Amino acid sequence: MLTIENFSATYRQNGRPLPGATNIAFSLAAGENLGIIGESGCGKTTLALGIMGLLPEATISGRVLLNGRELTTMTERELRRIRWRQIAMVFQNSLEVLNPVITLGEQLTEPLTTHLELTAGEAKERVTEMLAATGLDPKWMTAFPHQISGGMRQRALIAMALACRPELLIIDEPTTSLDPENRRLVLDLLEDLQSSMGFAMILISHNLPAIRLLTGRLLTMYGGRIIEEGNTSEVLRHPLHPYTRGLINAAPEFFPYKDLWGIPGDPPEPGLITGCGFTPRCCQAGAACTQEPPELSEQGKGRWVACHKGGIETVLSAEGLVKNYFLGKEKIKALKGVDLHVRRGEVVALVGKSGSGKSTFAQVLSRAIAADSGMVRFLGKPVYTRQATAMIGGIQLVFQDPGEAVSHRLTVRDAVREPLDIISFKGKNEREQKIKEALTAMHLPTSEAFLRSTCHGLSGGQRQRVAIARALVMEPTLLVADEITAMLDPSTQAVILRELKGLQHQRGFSMLFISHNLHLARKIADRVYVLDEGYIVEEGAAFEVFAGQIDSPSRQMVAIIKN
Amino acid sequence: MEMKATEQNRRRFFDYLFTLFIVVSLNFALPRLMPGDPFLYLSGDHGEEIARFSTDQIDAYRHQYGLDKPWPAQYAASLFALLRGDLGYSIYYNKEVSTILLNRLPWTLLLVLSAVFFSTVIGCLLGSLSASFRGKALDRLLYPLMIAVAEIPAFLLGLMLLFFLAAGLRLFPLSGAMTHFAGTAGFWHTFVDIAHHAFLPVLTLTMVRTGAMYLLARNAMTTVLARDYVRTARAKGLSTARILARHSLRNAMVPIVTRVFLSLGGLVGGAILVENVFAYPGLGRLMRESVLVHDYPMIQGIFLLVTGAVLSANFLADCIYRRLDPRIGLSTEVQP
Amino acid sequence: MNGLEMTYPATRRSLPLWHMLSGSGKLALLILLLMAGVALAAPLLCRHSHRIASGPALAAPSLVHPMGTDELGVDLWAQIAYGARISLLVGAATALLAGVGGAAVGIVSGYQGGLADRLTMRLIDILLVLPDLPVMIVLAAFFGPSVTTIIVVLAAFSWTATARIIRSRVLILKERRYIKAAELYGAGTLYLLRRHFLPEIFPLAAVGMIRLAGRAIVAEAGLSFLGLGDPTSRSWGLIMHHALSFKGIYYTDFWKWWLVFPWLALTLVVTSLALLGRDLEKLADPRIGRS
Repeated sequence: MLTIENFSATYRQNGRPLPGATNIAFSLAAGENLGIIGESGCGKTTLALGIMGLLPEATISGRVLLNGRELTTMTERELRRIRWRQIAMVFQNSLEVLNPVITLGEQLTEPLTTHLELTAGEAKERVTEMLAATGLDPKWMTAFPHQISGGMRQRALIAMALACRPELLIIDEPTTSLDPENRRLVLDLLEDLQSSMGFAMILISHNLPAIRLLTGRLLTMYGGRIIEEGNTSEVLRHPLHPYTRGLINAAPEFFPYKDLWGIPGDPPEPGLITGCGFTPRCCQAGAACTQEPPELSEQGKGRWVACHKGGIETVLSAEGLVKNYFLGKEKIKALKGVDLHVRRGEVVALVGKSGSGKSTFAQVLSRAIAADSGMVRFLGKPVYTRQATAMIGGIQLVFQDPGEAVSHRLTVRDAVREPLDIISFKGKNEREQKIKEALTAMHLPTSEAFLRSTCHGLSGGQRQRVAIARALVMEPTLLVADEITAMLDPSTQAVILRELKGLQHQRGFSMLFISHNLHLARKIADRVYVLDEGYIVEEGAAFEVFAGQIDSPSRQMVAIIKN
Repeated sequence: MEMKATEQNRRRFFDYLFTLFIVVSLNFALPRLMPGDPFLYLSGDHGEEIARFSTDQIDAYRHQYGLDKPWPAQYAASLFALLRGDLGYSIYYNKEVSTILLNRLPWTLLLVLSAVFFSTVIGCLLGSLSASFRGKALDRLLYPLMIAVAEIPAFLLGLMLLFFLAAGLRLFPLSGAMTHFAGTAGFWHTFVDIAHHAFLPVLTLTMVRTGAMYLLARNAMTTVLARDYVRTARAKGLSTARILARHSLRNAMVPIVTRVFLSLGGLVGGAILVENVFAYPGLGRLMRESVLVHDYPMIQGIFLLVTGAVLSANFLADCIYRRLDPRIGLSTEVQP
Repeated sequence: MNGLEMTYPATRRSLPLWHMLSGSGKLALLILLLMAGVALAAPLLCRHSHRIASGPALAAPSLVHPMGTDELGVDLWAQIAYGARISLLVGAATALLAGVGGAAVGIVSGYQGGLADRLTMRLIDILLVLPDLPVMIVLAAFFGPSVTTIIVVLAAFSWTATARIIRSRVLILKERRYIKAAELYGAGTLYLLRRHFLPEIFPLAAVGMIRLAGRAIVAEAGLSFLGLGDPTSRSWGLIMHHALSFKGIYYTDFWKWWLVFPWLALTLVVTSLALLGRDLEKLADPRIGRS
């Protein structure tokens, strides 16, 4: 029904072009629901207004086809016949969106008298009907907009938009400024109205639950471009673009227990960035990213992403890992074929009871012990030797027992410097600098006295920090944290965990967080694997696993670990 | 909310009543505060008519002001006189002050009302045009021009028009409101004659006010056209005429209408001076004549009439403003 | 972008006033300075007296009388040069009186609030709706025209605008965090005035005073023009008043110098003040300049 090709809208500011939307292309079938998400100023509203031809101050290029008719070249007079009759819009709810000096009744009936040439009486009847359908008492027709509440205004706006029975309804932020109850009611109302009236819908919203509830397909916009497109639930569960993932991770509705971490940095000034606009905020930006903006490309069925790296890279993938121990003659199957993937910049929690095989898995990953069968890949390359752990930007491990992890005989300096010494990293000064950076990052002193003290005298918490600092000097791409806080008191545990998550967020490395503590995992994990008896029994986005959305026998598993 | 609006109305009404009271009191106090004895000897400037009062006249004044009575009684008497419409007696004109005022008032009203009408229509029209084509050639031409026009004081502009169009080119009469004995020439001729005489004063006052109205209308329309509800109206596919007339103008009218009435005070001041530039026989001219001959009751009468009219206009503006904007009481913010 | 915003105001402040003015503003300032020069140096610039007849009555402009003479044979150029003193005196004195007074009232009423503020606002409301010219005419008519009366009456009527503007600015400033912080540190009213309020308010008051000066000069000219000027002085308005009182002046050529020259002087000064005021207004409040 609606096809948009190569649509661009460019504003002018102080004589300088200011792109509002660039190269937008998508299509919408009759009755289909499309969601659009993105930060404020990403071009969502520009796109909506552009479809309706309401951007007189911008230069428009490309095509907007409604049932095969081109809208961008239409005269204002022709467009007026399309507006509201075929495409209607529910503008973002504000006091100013309805004319303050005209009654609601007149504002609701005027499109009917204009487009359908109804008499005043017929129009009033129709509006009364629409108001009843939206649950607003028709007595309010004589009221002025400032006399009704925000929730009522939202209903009036919806009734007004649907009065002419449009084929396409564009809704801009229907739930902001509403309290949770009204939010729920408005969303239900939209669902009901759509099933009875059958219009197609474009829903623009920051509110991801609303998007998940109402839409089947999802577009993510950033800097005026579409950067991801796909089936709504798939995109939300498994975002391909780091930006989409950032939006999801910032949604409090999805992560009621996890700490919220927004996308670092601000969107770039439009028109100033030559390459991919997300580069300065991206955890996996490379040299190619600053050259030119990426095109949307298909990654899997129905999934499109605009990223030079084809979406979020997979840092680590373990496929079919099997490991057996022999206890005397008895064969203990620790891992019975484990698949696990960690992507760039995410925190993956691997949870399971003691003895479920978690620690074995961690050691197999890092090649501390060899697997019997299966394959581990790091950044796409198979890991056969310990090479991945012995390089800058590789995999680093932090273990459970700080007492064992760091030799009590070494000084702090020697302990942290050890990996650099082993791989013969540059000169003495560079190593010294890296040590100090890592210690500062872990909130440890960098005084000479501290550097010279032996680890023996440090507390458990300090030792664990030293251990993490030792991992950090190697600038890991993946940090495997194996029960790192299990032996610490709760306060120290909380402090170290927050510091570590902060570092991860700031530096953008990936983290595999192995723990038997579900509560801890819930605080920091983006995705979760549940390991039991050597099998992965459950995996998925943290908000689904912890909310129990996936129905599987392992729900009991989670319950078991919860004790 | 409704309660609040009426209460505010009442408060404003008492404000105006209080102001009126001050004006009346000032009017009462002035002759009594005059330095020396005002009635003994008064001289005009050299080269002008000199007003000397005879003993009879001085007695007449004393009687009129009732200066022999205690002042509260005097005050009460003057208030009652005012309520009766008795503004005193002009010795110079040898008539009731109110009679003379009623004779002169129509001419001033003609000037002021025509100027208000033309300047509001032209100013709003040009201002709306400028707002609709903001930044385009028309706007860039009008804006500085109107700023310049708005800055020139009325009587200086009037003198300039007089120099060029009346004294220089002899296109318009130099003085008066109509040619003597023109009334006998039939209605149409009289009308043309009056219009011919009024043209320059009205033009002067109109030009000066058009600048201010233009700036106001341009500002108001620009603000309204950028509002969300105008975008909503456009999205609804309404005709341009309806969007302008029903959805924009009404909202922009709020500050404009208020200003039309609020600026009457300034306009009256301008009119007083402009009438003297063109020797136009309205209240302003009368005021100058009275000042020259020291006809105090006359001056006071004009003063009362003019301030009373301006106060009423302001009060009317307040009421209309509340009528036009149903939100009043919600926010008290008034657009400048 | 950030860097630009950070440095921009600093560079702007450091520029001398002259460079911040537009072309018309510069011209206006020059004209005003010239007028002030004429007013100060009037005795040096005039060959003839501005009071006593020095030639034939109603002489057209000539080498002896560059602007001609009036009906008593007094040199018009001398009258205009000395008249500049009156205009500038009235303008400057009124502006100073009303500007400083209005600013003081605005600061006190805005900062103090409460009853004083409410009373002041009532008074301002009342003065705002009173038409000023009729009131001034009446006062001048009764108290006798003198330069002092005119200045006092003008000031009494024109302080309101400045007071309102300054009051609203003080109200905004008062709520600023840094003022609150200073108060928390124990800063007294005088300290706040000196350190925070006055520097913020001074540009506004200065612009207000330019406007006031323009209005005062126009008002004085208007009053004099009506015959209510100080008869001992020879202000521009009074010259025009005398010229207009000359019966049938337009049927002669006399108006071409007798009226035109004072008119020209007045128009030049008033327009210059308005242009300068508009320029300064833009500088004091950049929002106004945006169009």
